[in-house]
Amino acid sequence: MSILSGNKVVIIDYQMGNLRSVYKSFKKNNCEATISNDPYIIKNANKIVLPGVGSFKDGMKNLINLGLVEVLNQEVIQNKKPFLGICLGMQLIACKGYENGESPGLSWVNADIVKFDFEKNYRNLKIPHVGWNSVEHVNHNNLFKNINNKSDFYFVHSYHFKTNEDVVTSITNHGINFVSSIQKDNIYAFQFHPEKSQDFGLEIIKNFIQC
Amino acid sequence: MLKHRVIPCVLLKDWQLVKSIGFKSFRTIGHPTSTARIYNARNVDELIVLDIDASLNNKAINVEIITDIANECFMPLTIGGGIKTIDDIYKVLNAGADKISLNSQPLENFGFLKEASSLFGSQCIVCSIDVKKTGGQYKVFNKKKGVLDIHPLTLAQEYQKHGAGEILLTSVEAEGSCNGYDIELMKFFKNKLHIPIILNGGMGCPNDAVTAIENGADAVAAAYIFHFSRWTPKDIKLALAENNIPIRLGA
Amino acid sequence: MQFCNKCVMPNTKPDLHFDENHICDACRTQSNKNLDIDWTQREQEFLSLVKKYKSKNDYDCIVGVSGGKDSTYQVLKVLEMSLNPLCVCFEPTIPTKIGRKNLENLNNLGVDLIHIKRNPIVYKKLAKEAFKRTGDNEWQHHLGIFTIVPKFAVKFNIPLIIWGESPQMEYGGPASSKERHTLDRQWLEEFGGLLGNRISDMVGVDGLTSHDLSLYNYESDENIHKVGVTGLFLGYYFKWDLREILKKSKEHGFSVADKPVETTYENFENLDCYSNHVHDFLKYVKYGFGRATDNVCLDIRLGYITREEGVRLVNKYDGIPPKKAIQEYLNYTGFSEDDFFKIVYSYTNKRIFKRNDNGEFLKDIDGSLIRKDEYIVR
Repeated sequence: MSILSGNKVVIIDYQMGNLRSVYKSFKKNNCEATISNDPYIIKNANKIVLPGVGSFKDGMKNLINLGLVEVLNQEVIQNKKPFLGICLGMQLIACKGYENGESPGLSWVNADIVKFDFEKNYRNLKIPHVGWNSVEHVNHNNLFKNINNKSDFYFVHSYHFKTNEDVVTSITNHGINFVSSIQKDNIYAFQFHPEKSQDFGLEIIKNFIQC
Repeated sequence: MLKHRVIPCVLLKDWQLVKSIGFKSFRTIGHPTSTARIYNARNVDELIVLDIDASLNNKAINVEIITDIANECFMPLTIGGGIKTIDDIYKVLNAGADKISLNSQPLENFGFLKEASSLFGSQCIVCSIDVKKTGGQYKVFNKKKGVLDIHPLTLAQEYQKHGAGEILLTSVEAEGSCNGYDIELMKFFKNKLHIPIILNGGMGCPNDAVTAIENGADAVAAAYIFHFSRWTPKDIKLALAENNIPIRLGA
Repeated sequence: MQFCNKCVMPNTKPDLHFDENHICDACRTQSNKNLDIDWTQREQEFLSLVKKYKSKNDYDCIVGVSGGKDSTYQVLKVLEMSLNPLCVCFEPTIPTKIGRKNLENLNNLGVDLIHIKRNPIVYKKLAKEAFKRTGDNEWQHHLGIFTIVPKFAVKFNIPLIIWGESPQMEYGGPASSKERHTLDRQWLEEFGGLLGNRISDMVGVDGLTSHDLSLYNYESDENIHKVGVTGLFLGYYFKWDLREILKKSKEHGFSVADKPVETTYENFENLDCYSNHVHDFLKYVKYGFGRATDNVCLDIRLGYITREEGVRLVNKYDGIPPKKAIQEYLNYTGFSEDDFFKIVYSYTNKRIFKRNDNGEFLKDIDGSLIRKDEYIVR
């Protein structure tokens, strides 16, 4: 824990991987984050990170089985602690995911997680969407400070975030324009991986630490 | 729009990073930590490291070195070599890899590929196919079994069906030659798969990357050129940009 | 880890191969050197090649020098052949008194010497970043020598560069080959030992601009070809015996240290720069062998000591951290001792050296790392 700066960041381990690189990106920014799924530690943290790669269904299942849904709702929605969702961590804050059938998400944002569909249009495009792509700012996001508009970040996903709620802060094009980031009050979420996006990615982590 | 990628692809042998020439001889590139640091500083799009001690000589996967390399990388890292079981995959991902590369195992057992893909997600699984040209025909080559009577495209399509996220396609003859990629090979694959293809083996100058991408490669891998020639990853990217190929040029 | 049965070089040395008798290829090459090579013929070859370059211009050749025994010997050889060299010295990272004295001595042999004192602010930034990024604290110095010498060759219109030892025994130098005749950029990349890092990769480090780094840019192929810059390795044409070279250099005023230099048992090499000893220490932690091993192997191959004596010397001297040199290096760079060793340990070989349960490297009372049993040379 980085006592001097007053930051106590917890990176939630819900067995969906991606923990080390996220931890490293905080460490590179001089912030010693804690990796945990202990509700006590989450309650005592003042910032929460939900990373993850893999299936929506498995992700939610694990959050439920580890008893993390209540504490997340309490700390993020009620207590309004800054929250950073990355990739699967962004998708889980939606209402519904459509991977292998329907499953409910955390429902913090009125959104669905749907698969890229290039059957009719853009048939030459590949799924998963993997690689570097431009993130085009459409609304203010505190974590975009010092980030140039249309900078490239690293994506790796087959499903994307669909919403009508006015929380969208950037879009990215892969055939269609999909939501690449949102900000809803204290909730920040990115479809791309800042911890894998070198300098600009590290800047986003830094901005989260300082927010 | 999605950018194409320039990816160094190096081999881990005897705790050093090396590059092979035609899969036969090896030349030292350097210490894993310094090489990873240099690539990170050079803003490459990804890094692929294949542990040939584990794959060829049946040694245990070198988790220590993988961890050291992962610690230096703030871009995606793919690790391959000797990955045979689900447990191996856990080991490698926990050591810090973002993606894993499979070569021999899925060749023998498509079921393994399907299982790995459903457990870890297809975006995490790269299937590596080595290719040799015999009698004018392209055939899959396996380091242990030799030349197999399978066309690499057929194999790639099976891999795609069973959940592979990407294909790493390496021409054995071209590797380390700096004579250009095997474009004839690449042409077989153009528009045939819906998963990305990383073409590997033979890049000698920036223009080779342009040709590869114009003929269907989503990403280009190389290593010899970055260590033993004047060309840097940035030179490759500038050449791509000059040819209107979408590429990340960095900060 | 295996050790050569003849010398004591381990197989962790990059690109070194052992045959079925566990003899390394450097030893086998040395045997060839002793038996097969007609040195008189080689000398004749050299003289006839060099005749082409004897010039009506100011200088016949250009020689990169440090003032060390090798460059002193090179200059002596060149003067013996009635060639008029322009000598170029790229200032060492942390110069020593004895190094300066030897450079003066070289100058006093009767040659024009350009002593390049590069921008120290830029150089220090490069040095610090190179150490962190590549694990080679002398990376910027290698780069400096390899680019400066051809640069001056172009500027002074001197096509022929005389280098010392040949990186490969079989290679005389581009001037001797029919293809790849010039010392162009590709040659640098093959032999430069730059570890994949390029000067362009250093732009932006600590505010460095490409303008700041222009001294380190290799000459364009156009300029190289216009002047026809090429090179010859003396070590290919003349038997390179370090003790003979030392003897000759001493006869002409070269000074040695009054006690063994840190990191080895010898007192006549690496005298000109403290940073070099740190470089040797880094080599040791990365590969498990250092300068003492290098010296022992040469001495064994040249027949000056037995392998048994070599093993004793390696076990006694190899790997002891060069305390004075490290202190000088810390003073020069401003790194704290903690930061310095953090970087050193990130490059230290986990296979060879013992660690405790927390993963920290164990150390002996003199600060040396402790080798696992199976990695001790016997």
